[in-house]
Amino acid sequence: MNKTLLTIAVSAFALNLALTSVSFAKEVTLLNVSYDPTREFYVDYNVAFNKYWQSKTGDTVKVSQSHGGSGKQARAVIDGLEADVATLALAYDVDQLYEKGKLIPANWQKRLQHNSSPYTSTIVFLVRKGNPKNIKDWSDIIKPGISVITPNPKTSGGARWNYLAAWAYALKQNNNDETKAKEFVGKLYKNVPVLDSGARGSTTTFVERGIGDVLLAWENEAFLAQKELGVGKFEIIVPSLSILAEPPVTVVDKFAKKHGNEAVAKAYLEYLYSDEAQDLIGKNYYRPTSEVAIKKYESQFPKLNLVKIDDVFGGWTKAQKTHFSDGGVFDQIYQK
Amino acid sequence: MQYKKLIAALSLIGFTSTPTLAFANDSTELEELRALVQELDQKVKILARKNEVAEEDAANSKKSTPVVKASEKGFGLESADGKNVIKLRGLLQADYRSFQDGANDVRGRSNNRAGSLDSDGFHDANDTALLRRVRPTIEGTLNGKYDFRFTPEFAGGSASVVDAYFDARLSPAFKIRAGKYKPFVGLERLQSGADIKFVERSYVTNAILPNRDVGISVYGDILGDKLNYAFGINNGVVDGGNASGAAEFDDNKEFTARLFATPFKNEVNALAGLGFGIAATFTNIDGERNLDFTNTSAADATRNGLPSYLTDGQQTFFRYGSTSVADGKRTRIAPQANYYYGPLGLIAEYARVSQEVSLLNSTTSNGATAFVAGSSKELNHDAWQIAASYLITGEDASFKGVKPKNDFDLDKGGWGAWEFVARYSEINLDEDTFKNAAGQYAAEGGTTLASAYADLTKSAKSAHSWVAGINWYLNQNAKIQLNYEHTSFEGGALQKGLAQATNNNASGSNVRDRESEGALLARLQIAF
Repeated sequence: MNKTLLTIAVSAFALNLALTSVSFAKEVTLLNVSYDPTREFYVDYNVAFNKYWQSKTGDTVKVSQSHGGSGKQARAVIDGLEADVATLALAYDVDQLYEKGKLIPANWQKRLQHNSSPYTSTIVFLVRKGNPKNIKDWSDIIKPGISVITPNPKTSGGARWNYLAAWAYALKQNNNDETKAKEFVGKLYKNVPVLDSGARGSTTTFVERGIGDVLLAWENEAFLAQKELGVGKFEIIVPSLSILAEPPVTVVDKFAKKHGNEAVAKAYLEYLYSDEAQDLIGKNYYRPTSEVAIKKYESQFPKLNLVKIDDVFGGWTKAQKTHFSDGGVFDQIYQK
Repeated sequence: MQYKKLIAALSLIGFTSTPTLAFANDSTELEELRALVQELDQKVKILARKNEVAEEDAANSKKSTPVVKASEKGFGLESADGKNVIKLRGLLQADYRSFQDGANDVRGRSNNRAGSLDSDGFHDANDTALLRRVRPTIEGTLNGKYDFRFTPEFAGGSASVVDAYFDARLSPAFKIRAGKYKPFVGLERLQSGADIKFVERSYVTNAILPNRDVGISVYGDILGDKLNYAFGINNGVVDGGNASGAAEFDDNKEFTARLFATPFKNEVNALAGLGFGIAATFTNIDGERNLDFTNTSAADATRNGLPSYLTDGQQTFFRYGSTSVADGKRTRIAPQANYYYGPLGLIAEYARVSQEVSLLNSTTSNGATAFVAGSSKELNHDAWQIAASYLITGEDASFKGVKPKNDFDLDKGGWGAWEFVARYSEINLDEDTFKNAAGQYAAEGGTTLASAYADLTKSAKSAHSWVAGINWYLNQNAKIQLNYEHTSFEGGALQKGLAQATNNNASGSNVRDRESEGALLARLQIAF
């Protein structure tokens, strides 16, 4: 009798375990709203993260990606695009999720390492094979007859980095004379025939449509264009000075909570700092932040003088207001 | 200038192709020509790319540009994502009532006041044209989940609020409605006034169950959208009542509950259009608190929490006496069902109300004791209906409106949709309504136990109606309805020849049946 009872109890326990494991495994869906050039990286990363998360919890994670100009993407989230995580081009755009949408806490940038930027990048030049216009530095691309491809800073995060890099160079060349810097950047935009809304659009303009002599590009986008979009057709030119871009990431707390995805969204971003993710970051031509990956990919990235936005422009909020707000310096320059 | 250069260059090419001028080949000019072609090529590419970017921008702008909508369903504005919508809708019903038989008010009025009487001593009901419903509606949605509706009523010579509520659609299974709205109780009541099959709704709907009330309900669709539930807390209204929207005297609220199942919904079989359910309301009225003691002499007793009942021709055939007051529990129960199969539609509904009523101690003073001791009684009235409709032009019948297969159009030969309708409906009042504490028929309006709650010489104890009619849907917006209704009564009038001030007596021998009502009811309706 006791043996029978024991058998029933063990069977029930085993059945319970089986049912529990079946019923607990589920598919989680995340929406990652990002900027233009990160498509390829996050395709790779999502596979890696799903594998990691599945081994940890048994759940599978399906990540939907949305890409566009960083500013446009931030506005879309504020307007109701229910992103679980936002991985944008610059901190100002993420700040807007707090300022205008109260979707994240004010201290969002302190929640992850390196001010929530798991990788960095910079702005370089992509020119056509043989560099027929002999472009070597920023001063070369403001010359008459040079056609420069860069997206619209009002909508694109990458474009704002391009603009500020040019401005920083001009300031240095002219002993911090703002008037001369404005004149310099004005000349640059006179050479821009088409303003795309995002970095990927500008890459299309330059690489696929064959327009322009030089593309101001994210470093990773330039590598991608050179090695995968047009092998042997382009060269990367590293200017004497550029800007250190720190694209940040954040959980969009309000929507993640609404979807019941807080834990997985947090883990999704934390895993960006793992060895595996940092390696993927390097492979996709972004500059990693972990020591191991920095060392591994050291030779891949050219060494150049990188300035920080805080040092030159007093931070993103000030830079945004001065240069990119309605009626700001860019509007004055581009309307001329 | 560049084009001139190009022409010159092309001319030059022409010359160089001539052997005799081969010496004229000039490498510098060829270089210029190459550069020019490259420059023009860039310009063409730039123009093409700008066009692409402009198209992308236009496509993106379209995603955020509000959409103006105008259709047979109304007029409105909608945000590009469809989450924010505002609509203007309207309902106009112009009626004509023609009475072949039938009495107007039969209370003990003098000849001078009532006008001339017919040979049977009844005051004929008046033929009349009227505006039955004049209802513009503003409704919409905010943030994709929050609906609102505001419908005033301009028919009847004054403006009032018919609907003013908002819906929070938190999920299909959990929605909240608050404001003034149709309580989730009666099936025919929940059918839109623009979609009802007859000119007037049945006794179940118009006489017993609530019309509109102020409060809050939670409702939703569960079990795969096959079971609709609703629970509400409202101020409470009299039978067939429409809340004014003002604060109530009685502190007690009315609770409503309804379950309605459509177990074969979305299946492809003959039962797909079957729905059935049950609804109930409950409240406990504090009669004294409900009284307006400063004005207890008005003839209309509805202020005392009690209803009047109307015929299909909208003539009052029952009203409580002026000293009767709702005082105690009121419970309604209403089983209901409908069925739609092809062009056939059926609706069946029953309602029973149990109402505790007391008699006022005095109609003129605010005494220490408001009610006659021992006068409280529970009265039970019930009503039922069964109605059928059939679209002879082959459209599918439904709980909602009819969309004709072919709109009425003389040029194109369309005749709209035609529908035959028929209904039987009756209402039966509790016999005790007309009796006093001793169980004898009595006069209404008294302030002693010898009084009844209503007088059978003035109010009928039952009405039995049949209606037959035809609906012509000219298109989705215009409808013409023609109903013939016949109603017979039990009681409700004074024996011919008796003085008009005479009341009922203990044996009920002063009573005769109210004259049957026969009326042609016509309606022209525009709804969008």
